[in-house]
Amino acid sequence: MFNQEDIFLLIKAIKDNGGYDFSNYSEKSFARRVEKVLIDYRLDIYSLINRVKIDKPFLEEIIKSITVNTTELFRDPQAWQALKYRVLPRLLSKSEINIWHAGCSIGLEVYSMIILLNELGVLNKTKIYATDINSDVLKTAESGVYSYRAVSEYLNNFNSALCENPYNFDEHLVITHDQYFDINKFKDTFKVKPEFLGKVIFKKHDLVNDKNPFDIKYDLILCRNVLIYFNNSLQNKLFVDFWNYLQPNGALLLGIHESIIGPLSAKFDKKGLVYFKKL
Amino acid sequence: MKYIVIGGSAGSFQTVSAILANLPKNYPHAVFLCLHRLKNVRGGFVEALSLKSNIPVCEPFDKDQIVPGIAYLAPANYHLYVTNDGFSLTTEEAINHSRPSIDVTFFSLANTKKNDVVGILLSGANKDGAAGIKSILDAGGKIIVQSPDECQVKTMPLAAIKLTSIDYSMNTKDIIDFLKNLKG
Repeated sequence: MFNQEDIFLLIKAIKDNGGYDFSNYSEKSFARRVEKVLIDYRLDIYSLINRVKIDKPFLEEIIKSITVNTTELFRDPQAWQALKYRVLPRLLSKSEINIWHAGCSIGLEVYSMIILLNELGVLNKTKIYATDINSDVLKTAESGVYSYRAVSEYLNNFNSALCENPYNFDEHLVITHDQYFDINKFKDTFKVKPEFLGKVIFKKHDLVNDKNPFDIKYDLILCRNVLIYFNNSLQNKLFVDFWNYLQPNGALLLGIHESIIGPLSAKFDKKGLVYFKKL
Repeated sequence: MKYIVIGGSAGSFQTVSAILANLPKNYPHAVFLCLHRLKNVRGGFVEALSLKSNIPVCEPFDKDQIVPGIAYLAPANYHLYVTNDGFSLTTEEAINHSRPSIDVTFFSLANTKKNDVVGILLSGANKDGAAGIKSILDAGGKIIVQSPDECQVKTMPLAAIKLTSIDYSMNTKDIIDFLKNLKG
């Protein structure tokens, strides 16, 4: 389908015409996404490269297909339980809490966070920031409107993440889906209730090229299953960035099968699933 | 070192468990398990497999290196790729409703480890793994299906048999013997 040199040419064309830098993506996963684009658009690699060079809107569209946009409500309930019982309690007494979702896609994780913060009674003093490289997914995230069919499979996660206490099996809270969502199975809609919209500052942001998108220090950064698409050196750069953007003792949550390897591992303390910034 | 990759779905747990129980300690090859599981039963699988296993079972992290003598279980809700730089996990879309997808893991091993791969497809109720096991054969590896007569659900091995020629169709006991005698 294509060889290494074609991939270099494509990466160069994307960088020259769009400013996006894929040169430190994990080689294999980038090649795979390109393969998908070629099939979806019925193109060969040379037509793709040539079109990327001259057609900016097409290039922007391609970026959206190359980057992975999957996200879930309360993915890995044990991670949310860790946030609820081990991370957020340390922040409750602060006058303001700042949280950044880096690579938020269509926002399901962001709304999971809003629900959790509301349950803990600290939603109003929390500023939530969310960014993605893809402006389309940000629009969906901002609207809070999803397809019931696509999202309903995550409702079990909602139940385990919010209602069960892994540290006290006798505790079982009752939190219903309709407290947070207007669900219409027949119209296939799953909407975040209006009172929980408008609480997030969304911004288009490229983790690879751009600096801290909001110029503040965060108490918690979530960047889950994003860095798996990057190679080690780009991962290291981002761990340095995150370390710099965190408050002292600030927390970083990655995907549950990701870890900080390399030089920055010494500058974070890993407790359970969460990394805490060491000074 | 050989790369033994086992795909299974409904009805495959006992066979996988029997294989792991019978491999010798310090097994010279690496074992990869790509098994479908219930969406909401995500924890406890490593523990369940470890109970009887003679070799360590673990779910790899992204970018972990491959070590012989370990059985690597594809983590729930990720695709597992084996590359020349170790493991790569992704959250790309499910393929044929499966994540992990057996095809994905099979393709990646065929791609990187060629004729050092042994692909094994066990009991299951869908067609995941058929195209992938063919790619292992095409890349020079050996391929085995669990004998359909022994399978609780034979759809998966039959899909492979329909798509490609198979080196061996074996019951669990013969698969175990084959793996114990595998030279690397």
